[in-house]
Amino acid sequence: MPQQAVIDESGVREVLGRALQRTRVMAPVRRGRTAFDFQWVEDPAEVALTYSRTVLPPKKAFLPPREALLEFRRSPEPTSTPSIEDEPFVLFGVHPCDLTAIGQLDWAMGRRHEVADPHYLARRRAATIAAVDCLPDEYCFCTSVGSCETREGADLFFTPVDGGYLVDVLTAKGEALVEGACGLREPTRAELAVAESFPDEKVRRVTAGIDAECNELPDLLDSRYDSEVWERTAERCYSCGTCTDVCPTCFCFDVNDAVNLPLVTGTRRREYDSCQFLDFALVAGPHNFRPERADRVRHRWFRKFVYLLREHGMPFCVGCGRCSQACTAGISLTDVINAVVAEAREGAAA
Amino acid sequence: MTAARERPAGHEQARLYVPEVATIVRARDLTPRDKVFVIELPGRRNLGHMPGQFVQVSVFGYGEAPISVCSPPEKQGAFDLCVRNLGSVTGALHALDAGDKVGIRGPFGRGFPIDSMKHMDVLIVAGGIGLAPLRSIIDSVFLNRDEYGRLVVLYGTGTPEDILFPAELEAWQLEEGNEILVTVDEGGPDWAGNVGVITTLFSEVDIDPVNTVVAALVGPPVMYRFVLMELEGLGIPEDQIFFSLERRMKCGVGKCGHCQVEDLYVCMDGPVFSGGQIKKLHESI
Repeated sequence: MPQQAVIDESGVREVLGRALQRTRVMAPVRRGRTAFDFQWVEDPAEVALTYSRTVLPPKKAFLPPREALLEFRRSPEPTSTPSIEDEPFVLFGVHPCDLTAIGQLDWAMGRRHEVADPHYLARRRAATIAAVDCLPDEYCFCTSVGSCETREGADLFFTPVDGGYLVDVLTAKGEALVEGACGLREPTRAELAVAESFPDEKVRRVTAGIDAECNELPDLLDSRYDSEVWERTAERCYSCGTCTDVCPTCFCFDVNDAVNLPLVTGTRRREYDSCQFLDFALVAGPHNFRPERADRVRHRWFRKFVYLLREHGMPFCVGCGRCSQACTAGISLTDVINAVVAEAREGAAA
Repeated sequence: MTAARERPAGHEQARLYVPEVATIVRARDLTPRDKVFVIELPGRRNLGHMPGQFVQVSVFGYGEAPISVCSPPEKQGAFDLCVRNLGSVTGALHALDAGDKVGIRGPFGRGFPIDSMKHMDVLIVAGGIGLAPLRSIIDSVFLNRDEYGRLVVLYGTGTPEDILFPAELEAWQLEEGNEILVTVDEGGPDWAGNVGVITTLFSEVDIDPVNTVVAALVGPPVMYRFVLMELEGLGIPEDQIFFSLERRMKCGVGKCGHCQVEDLYVCMDGPVFSGGQIKKLHESI
């Protein structure tokens, strides 16, 4: 089949309907008046083809908020078996920023420290990813972190054109998903032109941003390790952990055991944890390595824009805007980083 | 000198988080809150650890806790863990005895650079339960005595009743070339030894700074700062000083984020770090 084709909205739903006959499909669904969330869908009509952002990012398909690592028996002798989920599924409707984040997680969970997390990778390998390009709202800043034109990691890439989408078939898995779809047709020259100019239109519409190049950020932030911005931000922060829960690149977790009655079997689970929680860096003693809220606030920004950026060459932020939109205290990630950047530049000029 | 890297075996398989079932073959109370367990893996296989490395110990239903190995690599067929009863998992471990089973993952992390300590004087600085992981080096030196210079152990703990491995401390002291100094915070009427914090012991020994390698684990982070100042005051180069850091690792394999110190993960890049590394890391101690 051709590597590019045009499909209208009903054609997309037909592709999803055919996929649903064979496999599970996770896609954005409208929740309430303004919110969207990635859900396992039963009916292609539920799927929101156009949406701003979901509450939780699509990382939940690979790293769910809570998952079983092991099923164990306590007696007569302790035994356990890993819970590996490798049933194929389609993840539809991933925006380029979230696709970038999946690439970051592939490194963090799959390759970092030369250790591959089998639970993450089994789901990741089982997925066929269809990405859909999008236009920004006031929270988006993908242009500042190099995530607005990502295609890597997608099996299919959908670019909106009048009345439908230009579909780029990027892998054999992607081809299998759309093969035989009846709504596919050759793109017209006008449609190709619209699709080609789509990224430019997207970039033009981005209003939020970071006032520095990514590669400048580690040194700029490092120079303001003791900035009062961390303290000022901490005065507003509730340490609720919403920012890390909704972040597409956060991957810290806690592990705990849940025992079933009558106390013979149980599940070892991992759950999202947050570096913003008071006990995150607590050790026996007790001693807390980040006892102050400002320590934890700074850690979040440093982890995203200093530590992991230096290690991996990319910030662990994809500009999706979720944390700024979801923050109960109205803390904006870009406002904080820009305040620090401004201080750093002033300091350097003085 | 850098800390020794021992890549734990078997890492990318489905069994990354699956503990191996091991048997407690002996359990002995050291103090009311410290218990030492001798543990055998299936087939009495050696754990294959370096001094300073840790394992994740599981008691299903309670969870998993990182515990440093306190026996030397030379010990065959079994290894020792010294556990202080401080939380849910360690409390559950204290309820276990010989014949009971535990789950073991690991060993994890970088241990002490034991090879670069050869032919050097070895200074051990131990605070409280910090003696347990360091016992793996002390015993290793003891078992290969002619490969090392002097062995000096400075050990500080709360009270005489808190002293771990008292018989072994005496045995180490008997060997020529070893100096074992113990101090307690509160002595009591029957205590004739030193009283005071661990840093008070430094003036009691002669150290040749150029030929000394230090391995230290001293408890509350603030003590690390004082000990590091003392060691630097003696003129020991910072790359000959090794500290083992404590963090509560949930995974042990560089993922969960709990042990992150700036851009390093204690479970992968440590737990043993050089004095030079520690001084550059804001949140290390």
